[in-house]
Amino acid sequence: MTGFGVALHPVNLLWALLGSVLGTAIGVLPGIGPALTIALLLPVTVQIAPTAAFIMFAGVLYGAMYGGSTTSILLNTPGESGSMMTALEGNKMAKAGRGAAALATAAIGSFVAGTLATLGITFFAPLVAELAFVFTAADYFALMVLSLMSVSVVLGASRVRGLISLLLGLALGVVGIDAQTGQARLTFGSPALLDGVELTVVLVSLFAVGEIMYVASRYRSMPPQINPLSGGAWMTKEDWKRSWKPWLRGTAFGFPIGALPTGGTEIPTFLSYTVERKLCKHPDEFGHGAIEGVAGPEAANNAAAAGILVPLLTLGLPTSATAAILLAAFQSYGLQPGPFLFSNSHDLVWAVIASLYIGNIMLLVLNLPLVGLWVRLLLIPRPYLYAGILVFAMVGIWGISTSWMDLLIMFVIGLAGYVMRVYDFPIAPVLIGLILGPMAETQLRRALAIGNGDPMALVADPLSIVFLGLAAIVLLLPLLLRRIKAAAG
Amino acid sequence: MTPKTRRPWWLGLVIVAIGLLWFFQGRSLPQLGGYAALGPGFFVTAVGGLLAVFGVILLVQIARGEKFEPQESEDAQSDAQTSWPSLLWAAAGAAVPLLTMQPLGFPLTAMASFAMVTRAFGSRRVLLDCVIGLFLGIVCWLGFSRLGVNLGQALPFAGW
Repeated sequence: MTGFGVALHPVNLLWALLGSVLGTAIGVLPGIGPALTIALLLPVTVQIAPTAAFIMFAGVLYGAMYGGSTTSILLNTPGESGSMMTALEGNKMAKAGRGAAALATAAIGSFVAGTLATLGITFFAPLVAELAFVFTAADYFALMVLSLMSVSVVLGASRVRGLISLLLGLALGVVGIDAQTGQARLTFGSPALLDGVELTVVLVSLFAVGEIMYVASRYRSMPPQINPLSGGAWMTKEDWKRSWKPWLRGTAFGFPIGALPTGGTEIPTFLSYTVERKLCKHPDEFGHGAIEGVAGPEAANNAAAAGILVPLLTLGLPTSATAAILLAAFQSYGLQPGPFLFSNSHDLVWAVIASLYIGNIMLLVLNLPLVGLWVRLLLIPRPYLYAGILVFAMVGIWGISTSWMDLLIMFVIGLAGYVMRVYDFPIAPVLIGLILGPMAETQLRRALAIGNGDPMALVADPLSIVFLGLAAIVLLLPLLLRRIKAAAG
Repeated sequence: MTPKTRRPWWLGLVIVAIGLLWFFQGRSLPQLGGYAALGPGFFVTAVGGLLAVFGVILLVQIARGEKFEPQESEDAQSDAQTSWPSLLWAAAGAAVPLLTMQPLGFPLTAMASFAMVTRAFGSRRVLLDCVIGLFLGIVCWLGFSRLGVNLGQALPFAGW
């Protein structure tokens, strides 16, 4: 509860406001997502106290989702995978002149989901943190393997490509001095590489530079058709009645799935959409603007995004690109998320959680009236927008340590980001591999050291067996499903 | 109209090459032994080996005609023809800092990159774009330096 005391401090409220505003503006703009925004803000926050920085990041996180749903509904351009379902029904509603209602149900649904999910974090996270004290190094390793496996396999079209992305991330993570022996690895004699490859540099290069190259090469210069917000007041009573259950159901889907090591917002939003469609009393409206199709998936999206904070804060396990950059942010302050974070940095953690509640309220209040303003941001001509993104990317990368090597990495990885988009390789696994790889390697070596070099030490206790087993299932599931389908005829 | 099957052999080969590089670099380091039971080389070798293996699997998939659909993105038509000049301009925008950041400083580099990216998107107003880019570069340099981010000197060869 002291968390609220800290979060409600006027200065911190300002940070929350700044984060929310930035986040929404960014969520509206194409090409930048919350992960990239936080990465670009990192060098700036070096001067700020960690509490304030994380409160701002929490605002950015939620704000970006509001921004994303705004563009999904008004422009049929989902900014990220979690908004795809919203775009389906929401845009139809907007075209039919019911844009305001769609935005309202998205905003209120997100608020409800966000609040409930944050409640979930409040009660659930300390429990998980307690559990985590019981984890041995072998358990951590197994859990990380599960996480790495899920992230690579569930996202993206092809398992092989997902695993290659992951391995590339792991390969990058290995560069630098080995923490346990002081041995330099993969530095090719370059002192600049001794500190390893920075996550921020890779993230900014993959997301910003790669995106710029990709969009530039395939640019269609049609200005976005902005659907007018005219017609129809806000939400009618009918709309409320039809929305509230999808909100709750969406949250129920989003939070647990978001909290799992699998992470990802595609599954919960897709599930929510499908379920709402089945349960809807007006099924023929689906495809033409059914409000349940906006209410449910939006709530699921928001709850899943909040859910990602659970494994991050309690176990130090990042399950998305955004979580990866948040983890890097924590580490840059010398904080290691995990069970010890709750006991050692009690105040910080609760202040962040409290600011999630506050951020939610702030966004609800800010966004509905200001929608017109946000949408106007999209009138920035695309060439200037993307060129501006490159300049900010350069600030983010050069600002870390004015290293020429980082610029080289920016170019090479930027090209890689372009290639990955062209050939449909998922990008998030690279980032998660980069940050989680060294952690997993440490746990692996520690587990084996404790077990005196016996590989069976990795499956010594039930938890590790369970996690490794789940990892194997995740890997083999598509194969199994295919066999079952084939057998079924 | 069925799309032509794309066969990016070079991609599979690059991945195998990276894998082999990591593998052999890893082999040159101690694999086992030492206090941590696994040496610094083990993980590197494992990652390299797996990359090479998956690179081969990818090559097999390419041979079998696996589909490689470009990703959806706002503003980008995924089924559009790649515009090579645009791509080159954008890549140049990302590469130019390698040449200019250290001698010429941040604002001028920002100007060059900005103008190159706008050119990549089809803008022909080179002078205007340079002016905007320089302005943005200076604003960023001033603003972020004020916020505590070290962006180096504004004009290194002049000593500013």
